[in-house]
Amino acid sequence: MLVYRSQPYSLLEPRTAALYSEGNVLNRSTALPRLAWAGIALAGTLLPISGHADDQDVRDYRSHVMKTLGEQFAALNQISKGKAPAADVATHAEVLSITAGVAKVAFTPKVLGGEAKPEVWDKWDDFSKRLDEMVAAANDLAKSAKSGGVAAVTPKLSSLSCKGCHDVYRVQKK
Amino acid sequence: MKRVSKAVALSLMVLLPMVGHTDDKDVVDYRQHIMKSLEHQTAVLGQILSGAGPAENTLAHMETLALTASVALKSFEAKVPGGAAKPEVWKDWADFSKRMKEFADKSAEMAKVGREQGVDQAAMLVIEALPCKGCHDVYRDEKKL
Repeated sequence: MLVYRSQPYSLLEPRTAALYSEGNVLNRSTALPRLAWAGIALAGTLLPISGHADDQDVRDYRSHVMKTLGEQFAALNQISKGKAPAADVATHAEVLSITAGVAKVAFTPKVLGGEAKPEVWDKWDDFSKRLDEMVAAANDLAKSAKSGGVAAVTPKLSSLSCKGCHDVYRVQKK
Repeated sequence: MKRVSKAVALSLMVLLPMVGHTDDKDVVDYRQHIMKSLEHQTAVLGQILSGAGPAENTLAHMETLALTASVALKSFEAKVPGGAAKPEVWKDWADFSKRMKEFADKSAEMAKVGREQGVDQAAMLVIEALPCKGCHDVYRDEKKL
């Protein structure tokens, strides 16, 4: 049985957590200034300086993960139709596979909102099983792409049936 | 001979539409899929490094960034203006491609360090590996995003 964590993420490794232990800006910026600046510069916005993932962070994170899956799947579809460079097929399949592998962590914190329906957590066993199946299919796709290229990937794209899961667990776009 | 030629021509007419054909929109769509993936992956790495994302996924996102960066330049090789790409991409191709190659090389190095020495070490390379803004300021039309 899944036990949700009380905090959204186990955010920091013990060593890093110790550096931030006092939880104040000065301590953080003097301990790891480049990391702090990297976070600010990369996200393009001022993220919480406290080092604590709030609900919006959790929603943002899973949205970025799912959108990456969408972009990569779309690129693979283009390639399979001869509308994008076939030489890139293994790269996109690998990105899809790695990203699929982190998706469950993104949904583990029970934080409602974004495009996720409450059913994600109400029916966690089913949702989680479907995610596992997606990961297995994405891993298989990545292997096929490496060994067989586009010809091997095309027939397997349908096994990554995003729609089946989205119909049940994603808020429909208006 | 005429009959053979006719047969070949007829076959081509039937078969050609079934073969994928890349038009300008496909080119723009493809590079947008790549650039948007990079944007999402950069954002999550930023979240993680700020303590607002799951640290256990750091290496995964470094890997996907590096992999996606490795195909990014190729997606701009076709000179098809559109999307958020400014015409300067192709006008100043030598500079643009140099920047994109550096981006691919440095993000690959970041992922390698992450694999071999751990993500704490790799995190020190993040700023150098992802000089997104410098390039976007010159080559991306913010109004078309």
